[in-house]
Amino acid sequence: MDQPDALILEMQNGNHAAFSKIYEMYSKAIYGVVISFVRDESLAEEVLQDVFIKVWNNSNSYTPTKGRFYTWLLNIARNTAIDMTRSKAFKNSAKNLTTENFVDIIAGHDNLSAKTDAIGLKKYLAALKPTCIQIIELLYFKGYTQAETAKTLETPLGTIKTRARNCIGDLRKMLLNK
Amino acid sequence: MTEEEIIASGLLELYVTGSLSQEEILEVEKAMAQYPSVKKEVAQIEASLIQLSEATAGNVSPKVWERIVQFTQGVRPLTTGRKRNWSSVTGWAAALLFFAGLAFMLKQNSDLKDKLRTVSTKNIVLQEQTSITEAELTETKELLEVVRSKDFNAISLPGNVAVAPTAYATVYYNKDENIAYIDAKGLPKPPEGKVYQVWSLIMDPLTPRSIGLLEGGFEATDTAFFKVENIPFPEAFGITLEPEGGSESPTLSQLYTLGMVAP
Repeated sequence: MDQPDALILEMQNGNHAAFSKIYEMYSKAIYGVVISFVRDESLAEEVLQDVFIKVWNNSNSYTPTKGRFYTWLLNIARNTAIDMTRSKAFKNSAKNLTTENFVDIIAGHDNLSAKTDAIGLKKYLAALKPTCIQIIELLYFKGYTQAETAKTLETPLGTIKTRARNCIGDLRKMLLNK
Repeated sequence: MTEEEIIASGLLELYVTGSLSQEEILEVEKAMAQYPSVKKEVAQIEASLIQLSEATAGNVSPKVWERIVQFTQGVRPLTTGRKRNWSSVTGWAAALLFFAGLAFMLKQNSDLKDKLRTVSTKNIVLQEQTSITEAELTETKELLEVVRSKDFNAISLPGNVAVAPTAYATVYYNKDENIAYIDAKGLPKPPEGKVYQVWSLIMDPLTPRSIGLLEGGFEATDTAFFKVENIPFPEAFGITLEPEGGSESPTLSQLYTLGMVAP
């Protein structure tokens, strides 16, 4: 999937309808990252809202020559979510956390939309290696750097890239096969 | 690195998750610009991760977008040109018109109140004039009655040739009620500090008695008509000019008119 550069440009020129389409395309994915961060639906909604208000207000700070639009969104989402985790509301809600990672969160969804076909996904995710779940959780959902990931997983720094390659490769096979 | 080496390295996965150093990012982007296969691989990695987090998301409440719209609709991104918010402009214009209209109405209202006040004042003045005119009319009617009445005798008081040859007065005398009206219209206006005094007289021996002062009533519009009562010697009437407040006995050098009552 190529990123919608024309749509992004229109949004940057102040086209609210283009912004609306971009929200439709990316909000759910961003919400997934946010909820794995804050583990609370109402807090995650608040973060998601703030993320897209920031996207609209600062859309001109994104330049297509400097990385993917989705990666830019991810960075805004992670920073906003980190700010939320420092808030009082988060500290109160964090006491009731039961889920550990994105697999637990996905397993917790009872009624998922047909688009994500999560029943099939749940089955395949169960087959994903625990080390893969960990590395995807840290690099993608938590936004850790390679060094932070290596330290957390107690593995040499040089193995992170290879492991990320293999684990995301496994994930892609699952998504293709489901 | 060749394109295959780059794809196999895991750099692209970490590029999408945003975990690379600035140096590595530049390396990947250079390869993406150079090799379509690298660019395609990045897009596929991204798509799979998007799919994964969409599954993690579950369902997003439509209220989030509603709130975002509230905060962003009508709000332009920072560096783009501002568009005029016509609903706001017309709102302010309407408010201005409203206040201008209100001020105009208030002005009109105050003007009308002023006019009403002036008209009311004029009305009061006119009412006063009407009542004065009515009083004057009543007085004139009374005088006319007196003059016409058979109960009153008209006594002509010609001017004293030595003092005031052109002066004259008329006394209307009612014998039964012992009252008289003096028409002093024919007398000149008394000088400052002087007043006309009316006397009744017995001619033999000459005995004058003051019956009153003719005070006021000598302006052009006045009737100069005076009523006197309890006349002691109604044989003759005389009018002299005396100092203010009147005198005990008449100053005969200033006798203006004198007339006898017909027997």
